[in-house]
Amino acid sequence: MADTPIPLEVRNITKRFGDTEVLKGLSLKAHKGDVITLIGASGSGKSTFLRCMNLLEQPNEGELIVHGESIRFKEAKHGREPADWKQVVNMRAKLSMVFQSFNLWAHMTLLENVIEAPIHVLGKSKREAIDHARELLERVGLGERADYYPAQLSGGQQQRGAIARALAMDPEVMLFDEPTSALDPELVGDVLKVMRDLAEEGRTMIVVTHEMAFARDVSTQVIYLHQGQVEEAGPPDQVLGNPNSERLKQFLAPKH
Amino acid sequence: MIDLHGYGPRLAEGALVTIELAILSLILAIVLGLATASAKMSRNWVLHRLGTLYTTLIRGVPDLVLMMLLFFGGQIGVNMFTDWLYNRFDIDIFININEFVAGVVTIGLIFGAYMGETFRGAFLAVENGQIEAGRAYGMSHWLVFRRIRFPQMMRHALPGLSNNWMVLLKTTALVSVIGLSDMVKVAAEASKATREPFTFMIIVAVIYLLIASVSEWGFARLQKHYDIGYGEAD
Amino acid sequence: MESLMNWLQAQLADNSIFTLQTLSYYGDGLVTTIQLVFLSLIIGLVLAVPLAIGRGSRHAWVRLPIFFYCYVFRGTPLLVQLYLIYYGVVFVEGIQDTWLWVILEKPFVPALVAFTLNTGAYTTEIFRGAIKSTPKGEIEAARAYGMSWSLMLRRIVLPSAFRRALPAYGNEVIFMLHASAIASVVTIMDLTGAARFVYARFYAPFDAFLFVAAIYLCLTFTIIYFFRHLEKRLLAHLKPASG
Repeated sequence: MADTPIPLEVRNITKRFGDTEVLKGLSLKAHKGDVITLIGASGSGKSTFLRCMNLLEQPNEGELIVHGESIRFKEAKHGREPADWKQVVNMRAKLSMVFQSFNLWAHMTLLENVIEAPIHVLGKSKREAIDHARELLERVGLGERADYYPAQLSGGQQQRGAIARALAMDPEVMLFDEPTSALDPELVGDVLKVMRDLAEEGRTMIVVTHEMAFARDVSTQVIYLHQGQVEEAGPPDQVLGNPNSERLKQFLAPKH
Repeated sequence: MIDLHGYGPRLAEGALVTIELAILSLILAIVLGLATASAKMSRNWVLHRLGTLYTTLIRGVPDLVLMMLLFFGGQIGVNMFTDWLYNRFDIDIFININEFVAGVVTIGLIFGAYMGETFRGAFLAVENGQIEAGRAYGMSHWLVFRRIRFPQMMRHALPGLSNNWMVLLKTTALVSVIGLSDMVKVAAEASKATREPFTFMIIVAVIYLLIASVSEWGFARLQKHYDIGYGEAD
Repeated sequence: MESLMNWLQAQLADNSIFTLQTLSYYGDGLVTTIQLVFLSLIIGLVLAVPLAIGRGSRHAWVRLPIFFYCYVFRGTPLLVQLYLIYYGVVFVEGIQDTWLWVILEKPFVPALVAFTLNTGAYTTEIFRGAIKSTPKGEIEAARAYGMSWSLMLRRIVLPSAFRRALPAYGNEVIFMLHASAIASVVTIMDLTGAARFVYARFYAPFDAFLFVAAIYLCLTFTIIYFFRHLEKRLLAHLKPASG
């Protein structure tokens, strides 16, 4: 097992917006089958951290190693940027992201959304992509909705569709950016169930979430961020069950 | 200096004609537009139908055709009317439709239809609660219109109004075709006489752009005025 | 066919204006109008797509000239543009002696150029607006799934922008149809040209212009109907399902 490169490693990521430093040297290592949840108050930098992992945000410093391959950067006029965008494109194809607001492409049906990147980015054949997509949609419970447009689906259905789209890439790591935050409470359950199933089958996942029950039951590691720094990290029983930090205790205390 | 071959003063006069024509047509268009908007929102179905017919017909036919119809046809219509007056009542008058009046009437009529749509949308955008609040405080119908509906409506209408004005300004160029000496006509004559089309046409184009830029600035200030109280709260 | 002609002739018998002769003027005018409008719209559209993309470029030397072109052509009357191009060509020193004159002598080409440049500018702005209003999240998803800039443009941004631009483009088509009436000013026998000819010949403004107004009205409604149909098909995805 030691020879297989680990799916994702980030080292010492810092990120500044103007003068404010929102990420102050964060690192993370996701081994195969890990489910890492990032928790923290809004503004703690957890979403920014996640978005730095597939370079939707450009980190000012730090290293990014995907499947053993280090991303190369160069200094440019407006700060650091990737030296080779082809490498980034390849890297992104290995890390598929699920967004808070789903971000399904509105002019395509659900099926077309799912097959789009496999065909045009991975170069799969259409036949193969469609077969795979139908299977995945079936799995997330949307087999009958394949030909619907996103606007014709509920938020929960859209998000499950978006997860199918992510799975279609056969990703090394799945990144979830608050996948249930935009959903009505009664729709959250279905999405979480799909995510639990994925964790159980050994998918490598990094999840930004407010769902503490999910973090406790499913994750292998929980990281609590505060103001761009790791305040506490470890297995869920320890971080959530027996926190050391005062702030984390307060954060976990039931809201009144 | 650019040699205008003595056409300078005439070009200036033409520019004045363009501006006068545009402003007078705008006023007519606003009046017609408000009337049309009211007609289309009225519960009286005859008024409603009439308003719809007017906007549909006007917007379905080219400006130039309407202008010719009114200018060439208008004179015949007026002549028929004065003949009838003479025969019937022995009243002898002579009314001559000049190009300027025909221009103002046509452009006003055309843009009245567009303004009607703009105003209608803007009136509908005013929340009903605002009007009810006015009524609840004992304001009369007219007072509610003048003090509440109109100022609030203007906020929504201004972008459309400004857009219509820009199009109207360019439409005034068409009056040169029916013989009115606006700046386009002067420039066209000068181009033919001097064989220097670029000089004259580019000058005219620049004047149009100038008027447009000045009015854009004016509309931005107006918008600011009507936007009072709608600043983005944080 | 012959019986149809006879029938038509009989219908028109007690009418001194709308003879077969004048109707054929209108017919030819209709063909000219449609040719002029259709050709300028097509060429303008082809022009507008790359220009709209370039209009949002990071490089000022790409962005600014396009901005300037749109600003000038949208800010001045089409008639001025037509005069500029028409007289500009006619008065070029010695052009009447060259072979080019054979094409340029007819006002159709200068008019086509003016109309094309005009609609190109408006269409560029329409597409620019549609491209700019692409939901941010959809672009982000495309990037996150490893799409390159050109792939994203081709598969995500443009297809969705075209659909969003459809209603505004429908208005532009109608606008061009109506604007094309000024072709008659440079002696083109389009629909309006035919009406002006009939008016001048019979001094019957109502017959000449009301008839042509009716034709324009029909054309306008046809265009509106066509675009509604298109919108219904292509914008179905934006409507929530009923039930």
